[in-house]
Amino acid sequence: MQRFMSCLVLFLILMSATVSRASAGPATDTLSQSVDRIIGLLSDPAYKNQESRPGLRVKLIASIAEIFDMKELSRRALGAEWNKFSPEQQDRFVKAFGTLLENTYLDKIESYTDEKVQYLKEQDLGDGKAEVATKVVGRGKEIPISYRLVDRSGWKVYDVIIEGVSLVQNYRSQFGQILMNESPDALIAKISTKRS
Amino acid sequence: MIAALPRKCILILLVLSVLASTGCHHRNQTGKDIGKVAQPTATAAQAPAVTPAAAEAPVPAEASYGPVADPLYHWNKFWFGFNHLFYSGLMRPIAVSYAFVVPKPVRSGLTNAYQNFIFPIRFLNALLQMDFKKASKEFGRFMLNSTLGIGGLVDVAKADPNLAPGNEDFGQTLGFYGIGDGIYIVWPFLGPSTLRDTVGMAGDAVANPLTWIFGPWSIGGEDNPWYWSYIIKGGDVFNNLPNRLEAYDSVVKPAVDPYTAVKDAYIQYRRNAISQ
Repeated sequence: MQRFMSCLVLFLILMSATVSRASAGPATDTLSQSVDRIIGLLSDPAYKNQESRPGLRVKLIASIAEIFDMKELSRRALGAEWNKFSPEQQDRFVKAFGTLLENTYLDKIESYTDEKVQYLKEQDLGDGKAEVATKVVGRGKEIPISYRLVDRSGWKVYDVIIEGVSLVQNYRSQFGQILMNESPDALIAKISTKRS
Repeated sequence: MIAALPRKCILILLVLSVLASTGCHHRNQTGKDIGKVAQPTATAAQAPAVTPAAAEAPVPAEASYGPVADPLYHWNKFWFGFNHLFYSGLMRPIAVSYAFVVPKPVRSGLTNAYQNFIFPIRFLNALLQMDFKKASKEFGRFMLNSTLGIGGLVDVAKADPNLAPGNEDFGQTLGFYGIGDGIYIVWPFLGPSTLRDTVGMAGDAVANPLTWIFGPWSIGGEDNPWYWSYIIKGGDVFNNLPNRLEAYDSVVKPAVDPYTAVKDAYIQYRRNAISQ
């Protein structure tokens, strides 16, 4: 009985492994190359010890900056409020928001163990935009993560949707709430003093 | 006599449901694609949710998402703070020690067993949404996991991508039929919800086998131990607390305005769940 069960489970697992390969598009290609590079850095044994940690972080930030369009992401996170910011305020906002995202998500990225990224499908959103649906599988968990990319001489990510929750939309709600009572400068100050 | 208590609660919630259906408004999600039976994977159904964003102007005024009214702001904010202190402060060390003492396979086994036990909720709501593919999937999962999965302790069905776990509930069924969020409500201990999803909770309680085994209409008669259904449900919440806190942290930690971040994440999560 036990043998039969383990055979069945193994069969089901093998079946699921072969089915999940989906067709790729240009956005998927760019994204998967970046993801592979980042995973390559994270699993590089040269960066496994404590002293090489800062070096890893610098390389990670560089790799992430390549695939993320921080300005587009910030612009969308502010929504219509973006136009109420002066160009100088916009610059400071992009910088502060970028640092906030770096600080919160680098720790998560660095806790990477052996998760696998599956590319499920690419959907054309029109206007040179595409959404790539992926699934991160690891440690008995499956997390659906979608990336929205825009093609501006190369595909760049402008939104990440985790379990149906858009990062940009979530911040737009927060920033909108804060900007109801406070000035752009106060918002920027709030973002840059936020250290998690 | 004591058995009348849960019945009263459900009556109150049903009254709320009437209020909700009169106060409901627009529904800005594309509905469930019933004709999608041919799709090979469960994730493929995510597609309709994202299309509204495609048609926006160069100025990033992405209007794909209408805000949810928050007339109970002060009540909500108070209970948000209370829940934060209770779960993130008081319960966190207990949950962390629990996760340390009880290994993960045991915890997920318990979750699997409970989820398998309340399969009628998901099955019924899939049927109510006329999603027969999902209903048959839930039925298949229940049969497979109840037998090969030793009464649901092991989720053997999950290995087949066509039998991935679902999460249909009555709130999603109401959303499927066009009932809007209503208003945002934060409940003590239960956390974020909306008027529609609060009504949904009552519907789920009706479809929960625990209600029938231990509840007011149970076969056990007047002196049945009705409180067991609450103990089991509470036990499931506690067992999931380490995971729930992790999910909560992933929303609150990067947030500049935690109250709004949690509210928005809840609404987005539910709208996405309704759309698929």
